[in-house]
Amino acid sequence: MAEQHQGKAVQTTGHAWDGDLQEFNNPLPRWWLWSFYATVLFAVIYWIWYPAWPVAKSFTKGIGTVTYQSGGKQVTTHWNTRAELIEEMQTGSETLKQQAYLEKISAASYDDIVNDPDMMAFTRSMAKVLFADNCAACHGVGGTPAQIGQYPNLRDDAWLWGGDINQIEQTILQGRNGYMPAFGEVLSDAQLDEVANYVLSLSGHSVDTAMADAGRAIFQGKQGGCYYCHTESGKGMASQGSANLTDAVWTVADVPGAADDAARVEVVKTVIRNGVHRQMPAWRGRLSNAQIKLLTVYLQSLGS
Amino acid sequence: MAHPAAATTQYNYDIIKKFAVMALVWGLLGMSAGTYIAAELAFPFLNFDIAEITFGRLRPVHTTLVIFGFGGSALFATSYYVVQRTSQARLASDMMANLTFWGWQLSVLVGVIGYMNGISEGKEYAEFPWYVDLLITVTWVLYFLVFVLTLRRRSQPHIYVANWFYLAFILATAILHIFRNLSVPVGLFNTTSYSLYSGVQDAMVQWWYGHNAVGFFLTAAFLGMMYYFVPKQAGRPIYSYRLSIIHFWALAFMYMWVGGHHLHWTALPDWTSSLAAAFSILLLLPSWGGMINGIMTLSGAWEKLRTDPIMLFLITSLSFYGMSTFEGPMMSLKSVNALSHYTDWTIGHVHSGALGWVAMISFGSFYHLIPRLWETRLYSVRLVYVHFWLATIGIVLYIASMWVSGIGQGLMLRAFDDYGNLAYTFIESVVFMHWPLVVRMIGGMFFVSGVVVMAFNVLMTVRMAKIEQAALEAKIAAKLAKAGV
Repeated sequence: MAEQHQGKAVQTTGHAWDGDLQEFNNPLPRWWLWSFYATVLFAVIYWIWYPAWPVAKSFTKGIGTVTYQSGGKQVTTHWNTRAELIEEMQTGSETLKQQAYLEKISAASYDDIVNDPDMMAFTRSMAKVLFADNCAACHGVGGTPAQIGQYPNLRDDAWLWGGDINQIEQTILQGRNGYMPAFGEVLSDAQLDEVANYVLSLSGHSVDTAMADAGRAIFQGKQGGCYYCHTESGKGMASQGSANLTDAVWTVADVPGAADDAARVEVVKTVIRNGVHRQMPAWRGRLSNAQIKLLTVYLQSLGS
Repeated sequence: MAHPAAATTQYNYDIIKKFAVMALVWGLLGMSAGTYIAAELAFPFLNFDIAEITFGRLRPVHTTLVIFGFGGSALFATSYYVVQRTSQARLASDMMANLTFWGWQLSVLVGVIGYMNGISEGKEYAEFPWYVDLLITVTWVLYFLVFVLTLRRRSQPHIYVANWFYLAFILATAILHIFRNLSVPVGLFNTTSYSLYSGVQDAMVQWWYGHNAVGFFLTAAFLGMMYYFVPKQAGRPIYSYRLSIIHFWALAFMYMWVGGHHLHWTALPDWTSSLAAAFSILLLLPSWGGMINGIMTLSGAWEKLRTDPIMLFLITSLSFYGMSTFEGPMMSLKSVNALSHYTDWTIGHVHSGALGWVAMISFGSFYHLIPRLWETRLYSVRLVYVHFWLATIGIVLYIASMWVSGIGQGLMLRAFDDYGNLAYTFIESVVFMHWPLVVRMIGGMFFVSGVVVMAFNVLMTVRMAKIEQAALEAKIAAKLAKAGV
């Protein structure tokens, strides 16, 4: 191509600007012109196939069509994204596979699902994504929150609101309001210390026994009234969502993370002083019943 | 050309110097802001919970500084230079030109300070609040007047091709700016306003604006720059006058239709989106027309690429222009868009245009322009090479990492497992993106370092010019004194 410019084969337009600015008048490169025609052809085919040009209050529909089922009848329409989605949801191979499983799950009881390895495999596959996209923001990736004090860990077998499969389903369907009143106004600082010592003694931590005894009186008596919810044994009630204080599981106070006895008392004291207010939203309506069923089975399998 | 001293009086170079310096200042700030938010995406703790520097606030700061601050000032500078030199006429009004300078700089400044404080219209690339919109409108009308009145003073009948592109850019930007920003302020002392558009119409107007900002602001105008500085630096005539006419009109006509390709698979009517997709394919060859005309101008003088780093900048920018104008039409097809949209592929594509084309052609042009404005030579040609390689490595890292991140995430989000369920969660795709995001950040650091090198080189060039000037004046004074005695 360079040779073309030598000699007189190609002329400039004869204009000059700013001293030496000139223009050759080379013809359009052949490959460029033919490629341009090819894109014109492509565009025309595209316009013939798809809806493309506005005409008065309507538009050219294109010759491409989509066929799908509606109310038992077969409907054929010009290509459009909505029909394409409907058709994909009715005939896509992935959708059909998923649909078949979901129907089977909807019809099955919890026992049936748990005892069927194939249905369980499907459950794990779908619920894993449902959990990560909907639940993990609070409960953490894989069901373990990043730190104690946020939301309950779902990987252990301790359940604030009950680990029975129906209780788990209720929790997801309706959401939960976790509430413990703040005792900072009711109890003095010394009394808070005493109750904290008692609470820690329930799970076998070494404590100041004299203070723990005093704390027991407050816990089990009218002044604290802790036993109303946590019960006299300290094991908690699923109906209230009150924590079992006798196991080593902590969802609000970071006892395992505390350095020594004094620090452990301090974190428990803080919870008693400030109370707890946590909320889990209701998922009925946000997720389908089949999805909630899958999550229920998945969560129970996580926790056991 | 032979009498540089005469040129400074024949032409208004002062305004060009001011815009050129501000282009570098805004460029450095804007690209640094971009690199910082790139780092925030890889390491979110970097926002330090300070609202003013979170991604959402700094992102429009970045885009505004690089597009309007850097790109806009570079276009003002080069268009004032090109229109004067190719018309052999001084700017029609120094006062109006000065007003465009202050109006433009003030708009950018007020805009970005507002964004950091949460004052934004929330429309991509048109975040300016209504009062800045008004200031821009006035500035732009003055710009149009200065440009057209200067063209009318030209001493030859033909208007050089670079000026067609600049004029198309000025006209189209006026239309885009005005129609995108039609709104009713809540009150005279209120920063917010109600847009005239809502719903899907607002979305359509937004991308009509957004894509034509790319088409006319970031493409046509910089082609104007290309049409002057490439043949000037190469010392050769433009390859084809015919091609320049054809691709100019094809670009000007077709760009206006393609905005809808930003809204595939949304509430936008299907006909609108296929119309836009087809016009995007039609745009491919007209875009390449500009690339061919630039690169072929060098044909017969390829050895300049070995000896002239400025030529290296200019030709590399045209190569990136060719690459991103090929990628763009592909991404605007509905089927490809279903994968690429809402992923980093889009970000990579934008930056292959913004860094590879817009910034590189501006750097090349500036290296040609700066010594001529200050009547000296570049302080260091070697540093131009250093800048070139820093910039090129930066761009390659940036684009490649965004391809990995974008295409990877796109594939993950559409993957199914054996049961017909989604194979990956959203967060898994985010975790996957971490390393590509780190590489992108490093690419940005390379690019910014290049601009730092350039700023230093320009600073030293200007200092050198001042010293030379002082020496010259002393010599003349001495001679005069001698003659007087």
